[in-house]
Amino acid sequence: MQYTLLITGSPYQSKACHSALRFIRAAVTKYPNSIKGVFFYEDAVLIGNQTAQPPRDEINLTKAWQEVAEQHSIPLYLCIAAAVRRGIINESESRRYELEQHTLAGHFQLEGLGTLVDLMNTTNKVIQFR
Amino acid sequence: MKHTLIHLNASPYSSLACKEGLDLALVLATFEQPVDLCLSGAALALLTDNQQPTVEQGKNLHKLLAGLEFYDIENVYIEKTNTWIKDNPTWQGAQSLDDTEWQTMFSQYQQVFRF
Repeated sequence: MQYTLLITGSPYQSKACHSALRFIRAAVTKYPNSIKGVFFYEDAVLIGNQTAQPPRDEINLTKAWQEVAEQHSIPLYLCIAAAVRRGIINESESRRYELEQHTLAGHFQLEGLGTLVDLMNTTNKVIQFR
Repeated sequence: MKHTLIHLNASPYSSLACKEGLDLALVLATFEQPVDLCLSGAALALLTDNQQPTVEQGKNLHKLLAGLEFYDIENVYIEKTNTWIKDNPTWQGAQSLDDTEWQTMFSQYQQVFRF
């Protein structure tokens, strides 16, 4: 069985991103290829902000997601519309909006909601964390 | 093909949740995925007629309701117990369900997303 995770809860206002991370670690421990992809929507896209600097004695959630993505080859998608409106910008969007900087953290990619629809249709279950 | 229910529960003006939930419903419909909506709690404010929000208050999402049929989103459910709806001018496209129908509705769908 393969899962897609839809995460909508803010990394600062909820534990959605934390709980989903724990779910992934548990899932891949038992079934290594059980997570097809993770789609961040609403305020959850703030997880992909490379400029956020959490205090050193707290978890760096963005880094924790990058590590789990790299270790288990799990794609991390941010909804492009939700991300851009919140200032999470990749290089091409930065050029498009004529900005001088980009803020998207590594291992995250901006995708449209169509990618979520595709994930829904190619995995057994979608689990929302909010 | 999975049948999806988008459950709107947040106020249309307190956050972007309602808007982003509706956006997902419209994208699903655009990709010809069967999708229905249900509204509860503060999201019911979406149904009230004659809304004139300022730019600071947010987009007038009520206007989207009239266009749902063009996306083949034909089912918008609310609970019958929301009696204030009867006493106020509201969008008439929603279907009222009694307690039992409301509760069984959620198990009719392969996936339910809440905003």
